[in-house]
Amino acid sequence: MDSPTICAIVLVVLARTFVKHASCLAVTVNDVECVYEYVEYDGDVVSGNFVVIDHEIFWGSDHPGINFEVTSPQGRIVHSIKGTSGDKFEFKVPSSGLYKFCFNNPAKTPETVSFYIHIGHLAGEHELTKDEHLNPINVKISKLRETLESVISEQNYLKARDKRHRHTNESTRKRVILYSLLEYLVLAGVSGLQVAYIRQLFSKSVAYNKF
Amino acid sequence: MEGEFYDSVRRSSFLFVTIVLILIVPNPSTSLRFDLPSGNTKCISEDVKNNALSVGKYSVINPDVTEDHGVIDHTLKTPLPDSHKITVRVTSPYGNNIHYADRVEFGTFSFTSKEDGDYMTCFWAHDHKPAVTLTVDFDWKSGIAAKDWSNVAKKDQLDNMETELKKMEDTIRSIHDEMFYLREREEQMQELNKSTNSRMAWLSFLSLGICLSVAGLQIWHLKTFFEKKKLI
Repeated sequence: MDSPTICAIVLVVLARTFVKHASCLAVTVNDVECVYEYVEYDGDVVSGNFVVIDHEIFWGSDHPGINFEVTSPQGRIVHSIKGTSGDKFEFKVPSSGLYKFCFNNPAKTPETVSFYIHIGHLAGEHELTKDEHLNPINVKISKLRETLESVISEQNYLKARDKRHRHTNESTRKRVILYSLLEYLVLAGVSGLQVAYIRQLFSKSVAYNKF
Repeated sequence: MEGEFYDSVRRSSFLFVTIVLILIVPNPSTSLRFDLPSGNTKCISEDVKNNALSVGKYSVINPDVTEDHGVIDHTLKTPLPDSHKITVRVTSPYGNNIHYADRVEFGTFSFTSKEDGDYMTCFWAHDHKPAVTLTVDFDWKSGIAAKDWSNVAKKDQLDNMETELKKMEDTIRSIHDEMFYLREREEQMQELNKSTNSRMAWLSFLSLGICLSVAGLQIWHLKTFFEKKKLI
């Protein structure tokens, strides 16, 4: 009942973008990041989710989103999601083998994607050996385990979304202060300019006595 | 929580490229296989809670050996050339070095986390001309996934089914803890939003106040100015 799971954030970036923060290097020349995962039995259900969580430059409404593609070992595209900022997926694999999960970032900004992949296998569908009868309890336990894994998957999705939400909120908070201060400065500056202009206007026209 | 990234592109004959892979989920295991071109660095970091055991295992996949999934017998295959060796470093969130291995094909590490945060494992493939692309298989378990179930089963003499049920009990417990964590985070977020809301209200009033006061100052200043100039 080995159900390998992956959870990772993949940074999908393009060169020539500078994000000035500490700790990790993060650029890739090509804008595709792929992860391989081996599916042991055909008929397994691969489920998971991905969320784009760290973008310094917040997405306008015209951001194309992230594309996600799953390629089977035969080269066929099994599942594909285009242009989203995070989604859940679930599909049944047609054959066993090494599957490729790819994220593609068409835009020029660095994106961090957190994803979780779970390959679910129900005992009792394939590996019945000749000399043992499959204990129905084992089948039930395996089903229970798969249900638990789906709960974990959902939790991870919520966690990643919460993270992104928090990031947005914190950035909003900072920007509120910044914009307010900017607004005050502009206001004060403009009124100062007004006064200076009027002074200058009247200092000349008094001499000419015109108004 | 997770690391932030910066791009560093060196304009030399090699382009050093790094990709950071970050793992967010604390408990489930990570079994990754990714490509690492020569001269590149890829980093994986995982959010590990305090006092949790983490076990990691990495190896370069030898393309000549077709291995059965998950089982690589290192004694059988011929050693890879120097171009196929990687350097691995594991660091704690505060920058302390936990594990370092230079020019190896495979290795393992394990540690008990002393602090809560992102632990990062970086893989570095040395430069080689012509550039080769290595496939690295990386397995990182932390928290309850790192628990050695075969030992527990042997110690308590549990059979297969009991081990599975115990594993599930642990899983459910961790799900429960995660729920509490999520609840806490949601509460924090609500507080944050409320405070941002009140902050915006204050700033709006302040803005109104500044506007009126600036207008008042303008009028007062111009009035005194004109009185001085004997125009009023």
